[in-house]
Amino acid sequence: MNRIFILTPLITLLIICLFSLVYLLSGKDPSKPPSALLNKDVPIFESSSLYNAKDKIKTKDIKNKKTLINFFASWCSPCKIEHPLFFEIRKKHPELYLLGFNHKDPTSDAKKYLEDDGNPYHFVGVDSDGLIALEFGVFGLPETYLINEDGMIIYKYMGPITKHILENEIEPLL
Amino acid sequence: MSSLIGFLSLVFAIGINFYLILSRYIFKFQKQKFNFFIRFSSLLTLLSFFSLMYAYVVSDFSNYNVFQNSHSNKPLIYKISGTWGNHEGSMLLWLCILSVFSFFFSFTKNIDRNFQRLTLIIQSFLHILFGLFIVFTSNPFLVNSILVNEGLGLNPILQDPGLAVHPPILYAGYVGYSIVFSIAIAGLFQNTDGEWLYVAKKWSLISWTFLTGGIALGSYWAYYELGWGGWWFWDPVENISLMPWIAGLALVHSLMMVRGEQAIKKWIVFLSILCFSLSVFGTFLVRSGILTSVHSFAADASRGIFILLIFFIITGFGFLVFLLKEPKKSIALNLLFINKVSALVINNILMIIATLTILLGTIYPIIIEVLYNKRISVGGPYFNATVIPIMIPGFLLMSIAPILSWQTNKIQNSKKYVLGFIVLSILVLIQSYFLDFNTWGFVGLLLGFWIILASIIAIFSSYKVKFSIKFIQIINPHIAHIGVGIAIVGITCSSVFQNELDFNLIEGDKFKVNGKTVLFEKIETTNQINFQALRGKFLFDIEKNKLKEIEVGKNYYPVSKMITSEAGILHQWNKDIYFILGDQKNNEWFVKVLINPFVSFIWFGVIIMMYSGFIAVSRR
Repeated sequence: MNRIFILTPLITLLIICLFSLVYLLSGKDPSKPPSALLNKDVPIFESSSLYNAKDKIKTKDIKNKKTLINFFASWCSPCKIEHPLFFEIRKKHPELYLLGFNHKDPTSDAKKYLEDDGNPYHFVGVDSDGLIALEFGVFGLPETYLINEDGMIIYKYMGPITKHILENEIEPLL
Repeated sequence: MSSLIGFLSLVFAIGINFYLILSRYIFKFQKQKFNFFIRFSSLLTLLSFFSLMYAYVVSDFSNYNVFQNSHSNKPLIYKISGTWGNHEGSMLLWLCILSVFSFFFSFTKNIDRNFQRLTLIIQSFLHILFGLFIVFTSNPFLVNSILVNEGLGLNPILQDPGLAVHPPILYAGYVGYSIVFSIAIAGLFQNTDGEWLYVAKKWSLISWTFLTGGIALGSYWAYYELGWGGWWFWDPVENISLMPWIAGLALVHSLMMVRGEQAIKKWIVFLSILCFSLSVFGTFLVRSGILTSVHSFAADASRGIFILLIFFIITGFGFLVFLLKEPKKSIALNLLFINKVSALVINNILMIIATLTILLGTIYPIIIEVLYNKRISVGGPYFNATVIPIMIPGFLLMSIAPILSWQTNKIQNSKKYVLGFIVLSILVLIQSYFLDFNTWGFVGLLLGFWIILASIIAIFSSYKVKFSIKFIQIINPHIAHIGVGIAIVGITCSSVFQNELDFNLIEGDKFKVNGKTVLFEKIETTNQINFQALRGKFLFDIEKNKLKEIEVGKNYYPVSKMITSEAGILHQWNKDIYFILGDQKNNEWFVKVLINPFVSFIWFGVIIMMYSGFIAVSRR
């Protein structure tokens, strides 16, 4: 009985250290909270194409296929950095649907940006007032979401994705 | 050059501590000059710290740490405080204070030589752990790889006189527990009965007093700098400092009461280990970046893992020794329904429950995030609902604890206390009836005043009043409790009876606060040395001749592109009138005015507690 009392601090210590270690090793960054939408259904959205206002995309259009959603803008310089990677993704995973949301951007600027740097997306939706980004809980550009066939958000990344993140975090989910 | 001296002396000091441990346990040298080496290593660590400070003072930007955290335009005081206004420097300060404690401990007289040495060996062990941590993960003496003639600046929110002294004082508290820890472990190893308790008492009082001061300074800073109107936010960083504080309080009380009872002695050892463990755990939580706050300078997983390892080694080692070596010789606990010992035991249990409750609330988000990948935050509502009710019976008990007897259930002059309590309850009830009745307000006020009253009754009825040092020492426990009572009154009034007023004003507007007319005189911007200031000027009570001017506004720091808010506070003895300047919209300024009654009582109470702490240290 007495020994159990004395052992309790050691056991508590072990538990605390274990959890803290897992936390540290999982590379969580407290300044970047996990999305509240993770493992939840994609928010309902509707957007029209950057190139043809009549061409619409809705939530149900991305059902039954894996989709990578990327929020970008011509004024966002980190977006420029990650941009070439999307060509790589498209080449390596032709089955993956790439959906770009152009965030709070004048149409002409967005078009010019995609002309200069190329357009890796299957569809570029316009989010001129930022409402779609709001629904997704976008914190700052760029942000990338991976949606599975059931329309559930299975991965989210804040900031420009890198080759390392692509290979180690996104591709294993594909 | 100063960086080189600093780094070499840091490494050399670690080397000496290695040598001390090796020479004792591997080579079995009987060292003649043990104390000399301990003091020498302390001085080297101090030298290391002062070379870093020198680099800050002369703005030596060839030091990477100085380049990152300083700017030549800063006033001298912030250049000095910049030394510990960053992760690396603050860890060096930590190590420096550790050595200073070892240094002074090596001068302690009237204790067994072997016991003293063993304690210092354990200190050396701690020195090595933290020293290696600094050298390998947080070296403040790295050389800047590029040539620059200007630095990046210190976080503006830290550019404040209160914050300049807050870290050293707080650290003196945290790190002071290292000595208590070492004493307890050495006591377990050597089984020197009783003697170490007196030594531990003195050092734990010193640490506790510093910790009190450090916490109070931090919270006073939060009060006037963050501009949120409150002074305690149950922020994880505050909780971290509160845990060793409460555990330390339990320790100090146990040390005063112990009369050779084995159970209490065991408990003291446990608390000694716990206090330092909680201090190191706090360092881990803040420095690993697991918690974000003004205190987490840069998140770095490798640092986090290193400190976690240190925490694990220290705490694991401490509790393992505790498990294997038990204090011997026993006197059974003399527990009665209500005597000093039972009051002590109850209070200790309450304090430890409170500590664990805070610990749970602080680490709960980590556990949840690991298990469910969800971010939750545990804040004020949890802590207010759990910690405060746990502490209340303890506060009640503490009002009479000093006059309880050791051997019997009798309380001297019990009639006076009962009468006092009844009269006081009626008075507080009448007061609450005329103000808005609030349960917490009623409980808090009654409790606070009761502690003050009971302590005063005790002083006048139990001792002959005379003005001598001895008398001051005898009534010291009561004085400390009066301090707590005053602080409780302040805490209750400022949180329960806080009043908030919002205004939209243009320059020249007059408005009423607390029945007094206030004039919003003007808005002006000025350029200071290292920031631009936007100030709203208010004249308080313009009907009277004695005008009181309040300045409130924001500072913009161009170097770090940050805006800080500067609350304008009109201090009166019975209330603070607290102005916050909001945003401007269509020429109108949003102004928030908070009336915080009796907030000064909190600081006054804390000062009394610290005074008592120092008096208790002087008492043998």
